Amino acid sequence: MSLFTLALRNLFRAKRRVVLSSAAIVVGVFYLIIGQSFIGGMNESIVRSAEDGLTGHLLLRPADYPKFGAAYPVDVLLTLTPDARTLLAGEATAWTERQIFSVTASSSGDSLRLRGIGYDPVRDPSVFSRQVWEVDGVIPETAEQGVLLTSGAARLLELKAGDSVVLQARTHKGAINALEVPIAGLVTTTNMAIDRTSVYVPQALTRDLIRSELPSHIGVKLAHRDEAFGFGDRLLAAQGSTAEVLTWFDETKDLLRMQEIRSKALNMLVAVLMLMSSLAIANTILMAAHERTREIGTLRAMGMTKARVLALFLTEGGLMGVGAGLLGAVLGGGGAYYLSLNPVNLANFAGNGMGDQLQFSSWLYGEFSWPIVLIPVLVSIVVAVLASIYPARVASKMVVAEAVRAE
Amino acid sequence: MSICELRGVSKTYGSGAVEVHAVRNVSLSIEVGEFTAFVGPSGSGKTTLLNQVGCLDTPSAGEVLIQGRGTGDLGDKQLAALRASEIGFIFQSFNLIPVLTASENVELALSLAGESGGKQRAVELLDQVGLEGLANRRPNQLSGGQQQRVAIARALVKKPSLVIADEPTANLDSANGEAVLDLMRQLNQDLGVTFLFSTHDPMVMKHATRIVTLHDGEVVSDERKET
Ligand SMILES: Nc1ncnc2c1ncn2[C@@H]1O[C@H](COP(=O)(O)OP(=O)(O)OP(=O)(O)O)[C@@H](O)[C@H]1O
Ligand SMILES: [Mg+2]
Repeated sequence: MSLFTLALRNLFRAKRRVVLSSAAIVVGVFYLIIGQSFIGGMNESIVRSAEDGLTGHLLLRPADYPKFGAAYPVDVLLTLTPDARTLLAGEATAWTERQIFSVTASSSGDSLRLRGIGYDPVRDPSVFSRQVWEVDGVIPETAEQGVLLTSGAARLLELKAGDSVVLQARTHKGAINALEVPIAGLVTTTNMAIDRTSVYVPQALTRDLIRSELPSHIGVKLAHRDEAFGFGDRLLAAQGSTAEVLTWFDETKDLLRMQEIRSKALNMLVAVLMLMSSLAIANTILMAAHERTREIGTLRAMGMTKARVLALFLTEGGLMGVGAGLLGAVLGGGGAYYLSLNPVNLANFAGNGMGDQLQFSSWLYGEFSWPIVLIPVLVSIVVAVLASIYPARVASKMVVAEAVRAE
Repeated sequence: MSICELRGVSKTYGSGAVEVHAVRNVSLSIEVGEFTAFVGPSGSGKTTLLNQVGCLDTPSAGEVLIQGRGTGDLGDKQLAALRASEIGFIFQSFNLIPVLTASENVELALSLAGESGGKQRAVELLDQVGLEGLANRRPNQLSGGQQQRVAIARALVKKPSLVIADEPTANLDSANGEAVLDLMRQLNQDLGVTFLFSTHDPMVMKHATRIVTLHDGEVVSDERKET
């Protein structure tokens, strides 16, 4: 008759009480897993949105480029040095030139200031993934085909694919230039910082508008995002002080820091839940110890040592932690796994205008990973065992001669 | 040969004005095969004395020897081991472990004594105490008399040198009480197990081979019957 069997049977005998007092652990574990899964998913989404949207793994742009606001100057452009070109050709997985410029799009009466994204039709997709794009119409490759307007901007201007739009921008030299161009297609990128505020313009058409062949940005993709920092330093050294480097991390660190605060708040909430449930468990085990005084006395009389009695009660508490933790993990892990396959679209909940400034995807995936699921289980076992220490000591210290005759 | 020897054992509860001398300077020796009853009025110290003999409690003064070895300076582990292998207990309220079946209760005693081969020996012994077919019942599915038989099997399964029973028939009706006593007497005679009781029951006294009478914590008479 093992200690384990005895502990399990004792828990079963008081199952209603055991279930009630460990319920908080189930809730805590569930909440922690789902919460961390969302936070992890959001982190990934924030980084991916930067990578696939405007930054890539890293971006080279003219020095002192404006950090905030909707100003996209083209008066200073980039000319790659031979060293920089060699480095990019030799070590980047892919790289592409972009001309980012301020543009006013007008339809009959309405006009809207947008970010123009001038792209190389061939090379752009290898740096800025289009995997999650939804396109109504075609993605233009030539000046004649026109532009790809983001769906949010199209809605505001009441335009659709096939309509035409007037684009007005300043040239490289500062003169005003305007062209009427067809809308080849509408795109939903799911990146909230792009979808209402941008228009994709093929390279040839951009050059007509700003009257320069030079790029304002070089987007770079590397084998792994972690290489961005080292590569960025070398690229900057090769290009010189006329340029600056922005990595995916520079672009996302403020958001990621907010996420960290969110994660800490979640952990604290769960810690409070765990503390509450540890009191409930301590109380349950203490009640069990008192109710079973005669039984404990009998076990001691039969030759069970104090240490084994202590171990018996710790096992009972630990098993409560295991059971509640596993149940919470199955529920939470199941939920996280489901959310990792079936994302929630935040755009369905967001009001108009919300998220324009947020560089992350409106599709929120849950992150599923074993540490997210198993760490809370370990925590709940530790909490339950710690909570049982005091009652277990009470049980092990009972005076045998009195305990065997207790009512 | 003496299984258990008490040398000048006293037990005092409390101190000062509330001091209770439950046992006063008792010296006696329990021999192999005896069927001894401690008798005396309520509060005379029977239970307290049994606790000393069974190493459930430590005396305030004097010494308890089990099979010639002193127990005064044994630690929890050694005392537990001593109880597990040498001493069986039978209680007034049966004290079976409620979550274990009859045979598991018996097996538990064996495993605490560090012996294996539990299940079969448990069932055999349960048959021997008249519980054929009841091995898999939980205590709450057994009558008081049946529970006390399980307790007897549990005390005996590890072949202890001494079985201590504090008022074993007090919670049983007279028919069941007598049957349980007959069983113990029979086991005493057939297997040579040494029994030590406390009792108010004249029935028990009738069966006993030795009667030790206590009064106010002191032994006032100690009679051996010829069998
Ligand atoms: N834990 C204790 N604390 C204080 N006094 C105690 C304690 N246990 C027993 N006593 C006292 O010791 C004395 C002897 O008690 P004990 O239980 O040994 O008597 P007993 O002969 O077994 O009585 P009964 O026949 O009623 O069972 C009594 O006066 C009792 O009140
Ligand atoms: Mg008594």
